[in-house]
Amino acid sequence: MSRRIAIVEDEPAIRANYSDVLRKQGYEVAAYDNRPDALAAFRTRLPDLALIDIGLGEDIDGGFALCRELRALSPTVPIIFLSARDSDFDIVAGLRLGADDYVTKDVSLPHLTARIAALFRRSDLATAPKASEETLQRGALALDLKRLSAHWKDKQVELTLTEFWMVHALARFPGHVKDRDSLMRDAKIVVDDSTITSHIKRIRKKFLALDPDFDCIATVYGMGYRWNAEER
Amino acid sequence: MSRPRVTLGIRAQLLLVLTVFLAIPWLGYEYVRELERFLRDAQERTLAGTAQAVATALHDRPRLFQEGALSPEIEQIIRGLSRTTARISVVDREQNVVARAGSLKRADPQPVDAGIAGDSRVARGWAWLERVALQPLYARVLPPPSEDFSEEPNMPARRPTADGKAIIVAAANPIWVGDEVKGAVVVEQTTNAVLAERNRAFARLFTIVLAALLIGSVALTLYASWLSTRIRRLRDEAEAAIDAHGRVRGVLAGSQAGDEIGDLSRSFSSALARLAQYASHQEAMASRLSHELRTPIAVVRSSLDNLALQNLTEEARVVMGRAQEGLDRLAHIITRMTEATRLESSLAEAEPERFDLAQVVAGCVEGYRAAYPQQKIELESPSGSVPFDGAPELIAQMFDKLIANAVEFARPGTAIEVKLEREVASVRLAVSNEGPRLPAGMEARLFDSMVSVREERSAATPHLGLGLYIVRLIAEHHGGRALAANRADAEGVTVSVVLPLVRALR
Repeated sequence: MSRRIAIVEDEPAIRANYSDVLRKQGYEVAAYDNRPDALAAFRTRLPDLALIDIGLGEDIDGGFALCRELRALSPTVPIIFLSARDSDFDIVAGLRLGADDYVTKDVSLPHLTARIAALFRRSDLATAPKASEETLQRGALALDLKRLSAHWKDKQVELTLTEFWMVHALARFPGHVKDRDSLMRDAKIVVDDSTITSHIKRIRKKFLALDPDFDCIATVYGMGYRWNAEER
Repeated sequence: MSRPRVTLGIRAQLLLVLTVFLAIPWLGYEYVRELERFLRDAQERTLAGTAQAVATALHDRPRLFQEGALSPEIEQIIRGLSRTTARISVVDREQNVVARAGSLKRADPQPVDAGIAGDSRVARGWAWLERVALQPLYARVLPPPSEDFSEEPNMPARRPTADGKAIIVAAANPIWVGDEVKGAVVVEQTTNAVLAERNRAFARLFTIVLAALLIGSVALTLYASWLSTRIRRLRDEAEAAIDAHGRVRGVLAGSQAGDEIGDLSRSFSSALARLAQYASHQEAMASRLSHELRTPIAVVRSSLDNLALQNLTEEARVVMGRAQEGLDRLAHIITRMTEATRLESSLAEAEPERFDLAQVVAGCVEGYRAAYPQQKIELESPSGSVPFDGAPELIAQMFDKLIANAVEFARPGTAIEVKLEREVASVRLAVSNEGPRLPAGMEARLFDSMVSVREERSAATPHLGLGLYIVRLIAEHHGGRALAANRADAEGVTVSVVLPLVRALR
């Protein structure tokens, strides 16, 4: 059974390129260029994953609205925002609406397909009851590399794919400083430094929400970030 | 270039205009002189009439002129006809005074006009002012009539007294007895009454004009002060609305007044609003432009990626690689372009915290030594910690830009000197490099957006002149400022940032 990916993108060239590549990867692709068409199609049949552009022609924030409507139809279908906008405001707004990830259009196609594959893996395994063996344990942090889920002190941390990859990159070698470029590489994103900073900030906040004493991600000014092993 | 200019404020100008009204007393003076002439003519006519009347009374009474010398009878008659301040003489043919009545001088000295004095304080003050200041002035312009003169007249009809203190007007009429002139009646009067009348008129006029001028100038001064205050306030507001970098800081409220100044303030306000709009449009331009460019870049990138997945010849892969490289550079430019605008929004969200500035600087320097292995970087920092309230990642970003700037301009083989100094209430972070000096006049503009002093452009990394602009934005966010100067000790430039240690967080 091939998976069905919905692409909602108003730029025909990008839509065609993404569709081509994803079809070549063996996915079934349904492409839409506006919100009403996409929504009508979603109502008939839910896609397995949706790739949504925020600005849809005249409908400047159409992607946000569509995401909300799709989330209402299904709480589990993975949603990736794909946008030319890269302001923190848009990223935060997109993720708050229940998107699983947010990438700018700078993303390369291999990175995008890796992301899509990872999200499918995550959604598949989330429903599977069997515990995965492939985990990374760092003190109170447990990363399930198959499910792409993170736990801190046995509580699940809701990380986006990008954030999970960042945490993984940092926690893999505790005490080593990861500079921004290698974080970008590991998280399969192309963004500027300040976006990395805000990603790290968001990750810290998610951990802090679970544990006010969380202090494992250290900023090494001028170099990058480091995962501090707990001294307990 | 600038010539010394005489500058007069609105107040001074209005007062200058007011001096035109000083012509009014002069006009009054002329008017009073005319009045005097008229009064004198009237006086002369009256005197002539009197002389004629007296002569008529003495006509055809030959008896009266027989005894020679003074005739008591004539005297009786003319005394009946005489009035105060006029002297009537009757002379015979030999010019002997036959009879005389009346005196040229007033019987009683003119009483001091004390009527209004003592009524009120104002009136008393006015009277005092009149007595002390005005009357001497009037006396100088128009001398008051003197009652102290010799009664000896000079001849003829209008003549001064022998001592010149008064002027006597005389009229004569022959006395006929039959067909023969037996004598003459001479009526004389000083011009004192006319003069007194004239002086009173002048004094009144002058007082009124003076009071009007006084009130007028006070009113004008107040009005001019009000005007110039409004204009000055408008100027201050207009100046405050645009900062030293030419950015519109705030928009004028715009006065509600319906006059021209209100109009001016409103048009200032709307002009500034338009300017601010334009400036924000300009600022948003970079971010909008980058946003617009991202989509076509995504088209190219996805197309190249798509192509890469196909079976390509080695040759095609090389060409593809070139295209990818160019695309990466383009994407890099766009990212840099939006950095400043993105920074502005992240400044608003930055949460200040207390951290050790010395530690951050030291950490950063470690990082730079790793990032620029061929570049020597020397750090001079105070021992101990430098606690600072701010956003450490912003400070690090600012430091990144300072170092990147210095590395770029440093002459190969020379060291970059980083100096963190504690000052009285602030801390100074200075980054110095050896290399070309700053072009004259660029010291301040260097920190503006899209200003670059690079001579040759390196192909590898594009320069948008935003690095030091970001430095300034972050420094100003922390209440500090950024400075650039040529080094005194070597050929090179020092760019420094002064940050206050204690301040109200924005």
